Amino acid sequence: MSLRMTLRRREALAGYAFISPWIIGFLVFTAGSMIYSLVVSFSRYDLLTGSISPAGAENYAELLQDPKVAQSLGNTLYYAVLAVPLEIIVALALALVLSRAGRAAGFFRTVFYLPKMTPAVATASVFLILLNGNSGAINRFLRLFGIEGPQWLVDPHWVVPSIVIMTLWGVSGTMVIFLAALNTVPRELHEAASVDGAGPVRRFFSITVPMISGAIFFNVVVLTIAAFQVFDQAYLLFWRDQTNASPSSSLFYAVYLFQQAFRQFDFGFASAMAWLLFAIVLVITLIQVKLSNRFVYYEAEARS
Amino acid sequence: MSHPARTALAALATATTAALLLAGCSTSSSGSGSAAFTSHPSGTVKAWGFNNTDDVGKARLAYAKKALDGVTVDLDQTGFDAQKFVTRVASGNVPDVVQMDAQLVATYAAKGLITPLDACYKAHGVDPDSTFYTSVRDDVSYDGKIWAVPQFFQPPAILLNMRVLKKAGVSADQIDTSKPDQLVAAATKMYRASGGTPTTLGFDPVASGQPGLWLLAYGGQIIDENGKPTLDDPGNVKGLEVLKRLYDAQGGYAKAKSFSDTFDTFGKDNQFVKDQVGAQVDNQWYLNVLTPYVKQVDLGAVPFRAADGKPITVASGTAFVIPAQAKNKDAACAWALSLDDEKAWDAAEQARLKTLAATPGSINTGLFTGLPKVDQKIHSSYVKSSGNAGFDQAISTYYDIVGSGRSIGTSPAGQQIQTELQNALQSALLGTKTPKAALAAAQKSAMQAYEQVTKDNGK
Repeated sequence: MSLRMTLRRREALAGYAFISPWIIGFLVFTAGSMIYSLVVSFSRYDLLTGSISPAGAENYAELLQDPKVAQSLGNTLYYAVLAVPLEIIVALALALVLSRAGRAAGFFRTVFYLPKMTPAVATASVFLILLNGNSGAINRFLRLFGIEGPQWLVDPHWVVPSIVIMTLWGVSGTMVIFLAALNTVPRELHEAASVDGAGPVRRFFSITVPMISGAIFFNVVVLTIAAFQVFDQAYLLFWRDQTNASPSSSLFYAVYLFQQAFRQFDFGFASAMAWLLFAIVLVITLIQVKLSNRFVYYEAEARS
Repeated sequence: MSHPARTALAALATATTAALLLAGCSTSSSGSGSAAFTSHPSGTVKAWGFNNTDDVGKARLAYAKKALDGVTVDLDQTGFDAQKFVTRVASGNVPDVVQMDAQLVATYAAKGLITPLDACYKAHGVDPDSTFYTSVRDDVSYDGKIWAVPQFFQPPAILLNMRVLKKAGVSADQIDTSKPDQLVAAATKMYRASGGTPTTLGFDPVASGQPGLWLLAYGGQIIDENGKPTLDDPGNVKGLEVLKRLYDAQGGYAKAKSFSDTFDTFGKDNQFVKDQVGAQVDNQWYLNVLTPYVKQVDLGAVPFRAADGKPITVASGTAFVIPAQAKNKDAACAWALSLDDEKAWDAAEQARLKTLAATPGSINTGLFTGLPKVDQKIHSSYVKSSGNAGFDQAISTYYDIVGSGRSIGTSPAGQQIQTELQNALQSALLGTKTPKAALAAAQKSAMQAYEQVTKDNGK
């Protein structure tokens, strides 16, 4: 008995030893930083002396008074509401096409994944040209159908949709997850439904979607979190140059947070912003989890 | 998870957190270095600047190295990056002297992150008032003190594409910003569009790039002498109205902006070669971009004129600042000043002449240093006729206006004020708000930002 215990204990220790690089990394770079930022969010941080002094909830009170916080949060929320459903739809559509590609699937999978490998700076530069209101390829394409496209990056109403389009370009990570999920949908179910006279649309909604609901749920959660943290595209297109200003329609929450920290050096305020975002994302994720119980099908549950 | 492992994990977590917290607090002991400025510095000066430096920069660096006998210069030749600056300050590993955009100086000064340099100038017998253009000095002054050693002043003026002007029957003197009606008429005459989108802008005002110039020219004010925003100044409304008329006459702001975004500004198909502009507000350095295409362009220039008809120019250069925690401020001060020494600029001009001599077809467009005496000397001694009358006229126009610089003012909330100004510009030019309403809204937000910043600074 005691021998077995030691064996188990030794096995456990070996296990922890193997994952220790991750544990240390997590503690230092994630948990440690988070706790430190929580402390800073309740403090005044003096960059000059590196000292922090308690400030109570002052930074959080300031968040509520600063109209730019609400504005940037509004922009971000608008982005999330647009981006997440579109990303799911586009990724799923691409995955469905790819799952039928047959022998060439490997080639197309690689090609479709390339945008994800492209550096954000390169993507932003290309989209600057594609989204030009007069001569950009997107508006030229729309003109073929007699549609006069918007002034994407100039008209404040179209700035957020422009960034959504840029995001959709990099949707292949989500697509790969869907592709894997689609491969797990049992063929027999489709065959049985076909015999019963169900068409492809009916089969998609009654078989495919429920069977991959776990993957859909996972992607919705992950994409929502990512949407609230959107930074790269807006920063690169509008805010990179420190001496040039841009209109606030492109001011996302993470961009404003970055400005507060690294332009104004108000680390207390920036940390409070980070924790407010954390709380918002946490609440939204909890709601999603709650709702998922109703909609998501887990294979393990069916068996038990 | 077994007990010992759990305990070990918990201990590790606590230790890491404690270590991080301590690390965060420990830099407080680093303190600030000595602020006594002398004319005999020694030791090592850790400098950060001269990213991608050219012949001019190299020559000045070489001069400063020679001039500072007994001082070792340890140069980090990368561009200024606020994030890197913060990291260096927080870690206590602060450079002694940093090159940054002059526009940022007031913000850093207000935060107490940099040292006032009045004593530095005094120790070296340099009088900033007589050394720099007034506007250049004002750009790095805040709260009654001077906070940096400025360099370069790139004034904007209006470059003319004579080919487009002649074709439309417009004369150079009609491009006069002090006469808005005439200016709008001239721009309209030169404007060409195809299918509703511009193919030639008669006059590209570059509103989002030069907002300060447009507002100050019509008697406006962006920041007052105390650093407070004054975006709702009536003069600003007038400037914005002129801009709106100009854009509306040329397809509207959105289309004109999208069109100018497609210019191959730095390339062989630039807007002057391709006749995409009749006239454009450009900084002096743009002449250097155009020199290789001297045979493909028909250039001219006129000053940007204020409402009273006098030339006006608004610009900002870069500047050397000394962080509050710098260890060798004395050497930093001496180094920065020696880079701005007349002899350093002379060495720079000699180096430039050598480069130009080695480049066939090159044109000396001059150096705009931020120091009137140096500028005049370089202009009169070294800037010779290029053999192209249009280029010569453009070069001398920039020299004519360089003394008419105005500072937009300095504020600890400078960056937020600029952002609000862009908001006002956008909503007014797109027509979602009247210029007056747009500026009033911008002023409200800018004031809020200003109050937040000044309150934070008081913490």
